[in-house]
Amino acid sequence: MRTPKLPERGMRQINLGPVTRIEGHLNIHTTVENGAIVDAKCSTEMFRGFEMILRGRDPLDAQQITQRICGVCPYAHGIAASYAQEAAYGLAVPKNGRILHNLIQGANHLYDYLLNFYQLSALDYVDVTSVLRYQGRDEELLHVKQWVKAQLDSGMKFPGTPFLPRLPGPYITNVELNIGALKHYLEALTLQRKANQAVAIFGGKFPHSTAIFPGGCSQNARVELITAYQSLIREVRDFINDKYLPDIVAVAEIFPEYWHIGASKGGFLSYGQFPLSPALDSERFIAPGVLLDGKVRPVDFDRIRQDVKYARYDSGTGLSVRESDTSPSPQKQDAYTWTKAPRYDGRMVEVGPAARVMIDYLQGHNEGIRKRVDAYAASAGIRVEQLNSVLGRHLSRGILGAVIADFLLEESDRIDADAPTMAPLEIPESGEGFGATEASRGALLHYVRIANQKIDMYECVVPTTWNCSPRDDRGHPGAMESALIGTKIRDPEEQIEALRVVRSLDPCIACSVH
Amino acid sequence: MITRREFLKMAAALAAAYGIQGLPAPVAAALNTLGPEGVPRLIHLQGLACSGCSISLLQADSPSILPLITDYSQLGFHSDLSAVSGKKALDLIDAFLSGKAGEYYLTFEGAIPEAMPEACVIGDNHLTDYLLKAAETMNGALAVGACACDGGIPGAEGNPTGAIGLKQFFRSRGIDKLVVDIRGCSVHPDWVWHTVIRLVKAGLPKLVNDSPALFFSRKVHEQCPRYHDFQEEIFAKHLSDKGCLFKLGCLGPDTPADCPTRWWNAGRTWCVNNNAPCVGCASPNFARAKSIPFYRISENREVPHQQGDDE
Repeated sequence: MRTPKLPERGMRQINLGPVTRIEGHLNIHTTVENGAIVDAKCSTEMFRGFEMILRGRDPLDAQQITQRICGVCPYAHGIAASYAQEAAYGLAVPKNGRILHNLIQGANHLYDYLLNFYQLSALDYVDVTSVLRYQGRDEELLHVKQWVKAQLDSGMKFPGTPFLPRLPGPYITNVELNIGALKHYLEALTLQRKANQAVAIFGGKFPHSTAIFPGGCSQNARVELITAYQSLIREVRDFINDKYLPDIVAVAEIFPEYWHIGASKGGFLSYGQFPLSPALDSERFIAPGVLLDGKVRPVDFDRIRQDVKYARYDSGTGLSVRESDTSPSPQKQDAYTWTKAPRYDGRMVEVGPAARVMIDYLQGHNEGIRKRVDAYAASAGIRVEQLNSVLGRHLSRGILGAVIADFLLEESDRIDADAPTMAPLEIPESGEGFGATEASRGALLHYVRIANQKIDMYECVVPTTWNCSPRDDRGHPGAMESALIGTKIRDPEEQIEALRVVRSLDPCIACSVH
Repeated sequence: MITRREFLKMAAALAAAYGIQGLPAPVAAALNTLGPEGVPRLIHLQGLACSGCSISLLQADSPSILPLITDYSQLGFHSDLSAVSGKKALDLIDAFLSGKAGEYYLTFEGAIPEAMPEACVIGDNHLTDYLLKAAETMNGALAVGACACDGGIPGAEGNPTGAIGLKQFFRSRGIDKLVVDIRGCSVHPDWVWHTVIRLVKAGLPKLVNDSPALFFSRKVHEQCPRYHDFQEEIFAKHLSDKGCLFKLGCLGPDTPADCPTRWWNAGRTWCVNNNAPCVGCASPNFARAKSIPFYRISENREVPHQQGDDE
């Protein structure tokens, strides 16, 4: 039941769900007072029980089953599951195997960044009705103009779906800018498809790759495939540099207040990404770390605990990843979500693009990241810590997109043509392993324990599990909750400002709960 | 005077019977020039889903996704793409589901938690409430993907939610409505969009076991370019080898789908072309039993009687 409206000046409770233009079933219970959110509770509304389904299965099923946790970033799960099995099996991965893992995962990141900015976030800033004033000759835009006009003239209910109706809010008023952004929205639809074609060249298909395995990739390292891959990545890279990054800057110039809005109030965690040689513990192209109190420290998986006081489980609380348990309790008292509350050393952390960029930057690790962060921060007049904001997350994605695209082109040149791409597989009687990587949405950890050649236990601690976390057992809010609390709202009923915060974190509820 | 709806239904039935070329000119013209109110509205709801089928639908190639959701159909609501959010979104969904906003088809992605309705909530209501409402007002439904058809991985052995597909859910409530099953984990975008285009231009496509015959009437194995290797008993010994992948666990013999001729991602490749055994994602039994793994690398799998040759 919706809470009845209270008098204008008092405290009001408003649900933001269903939150659209994200993955999955998210509701957010907000309390608004004096034009600001004073409390927020992230309520994820879908549960499937992947860890229960995995138990007792063949270990090699894991990279197939866990990809289905999320159809938006399946490859990250496929990679994490493969890493975990590599550790458990003690595999010696050939050079090509690791490179192909990197190529398919990296191309998937590029699509996901474009998707988040254009298809998921842009409609919070861009006024699509501007197209009615378009006077140019671009066929595609003229077609959209005619379509919108026909829709509005048709007398039908809900014309212009899915682009209308929308929430009231300040949108960009500059017609040219709106139309340029709309054109890029359409182009991004094409470019995300090309990035995923690059993914599929080695992955077998997208979504849900069949060619990723522990130890590498079953596709052969054929030169013509590498060339096709590079050609697609170049197109995507050019779009990122020529359009995506400038569009982020343009939005930032019109809405500069969003450098200050939506900061989460804890630390940051990144597992780093793209091992630069076959061994799993080798240096990564983007450096891992946990950022607490301004200092970056090495990551220790044993310091992660998951609380469930406010999540719908009656399994133990505060459990480490190795001892995790999932026992659903749909009607549990005081629980308001299906997402567990992971904490690092008891601390709340944000994961995702801003965490990835800041943690690498503060270690002075990746040259491409450092240069771009310095340049963009100087021109926007922001400090590096302000990447922890709505605009900072978007900028971080753009920067990572540019840096990763360059990396993929270099990495693909390192392939030894026609050399092996996979380690021979043999499933041990027993074993265990962690697999950690960065999904587009942040730090992704899989853990597998094998007994009698079957999965004895499996646990996934997923990016949106961190970001959409509920209160922990001590009552401390999760990253998104903390980013929302304090946000100023014009209209409590239709909180476009809050939704901008939410979409900058790019939540994926299918991942979050799984 | 017949209504537009009746006219279109009649035209669609005629088109199905004679093909669009055989129709009287005015009828064919009407079908070809459907205005904004003429193309089918799609209301897309998600249950226990990963959005993989939706993301796959975005990979449509020719036509690409925008004309598909504006000219060939109109996407009335989709949680991943709709501008509207929150209460306004619920009002829009309610307007369609209560029959007040015009005709629509339901496209449904994900499974239904039959034994645990709290496992899927939209706004303030259980998913199952929405589906029961839709059953009364929709023209028909497309069950998009393995989960929506059979429960998929959420319905696999050991699952805690009792996840099932849309048709089984409707049947359990005594509802008899048109549900076209389009399997796959994920679906191929063509399987859905070509079905929608046929619905618009030529009426209900021919169905085999409630799935469009065009895509699902033959097994992957029967159409596989490595079928010759199978006959000659040239079997891959390791993943990444050439040769028939049967002994590594390939489920192509049990999986009705046209992947070997259609290929994926704008025709770039498909699983077996990447030396990856078919995991049977378009089979009603996909991922169901713990005892049937996707791969069989450590056993010398026995070649079955070649049923394809005897028939």
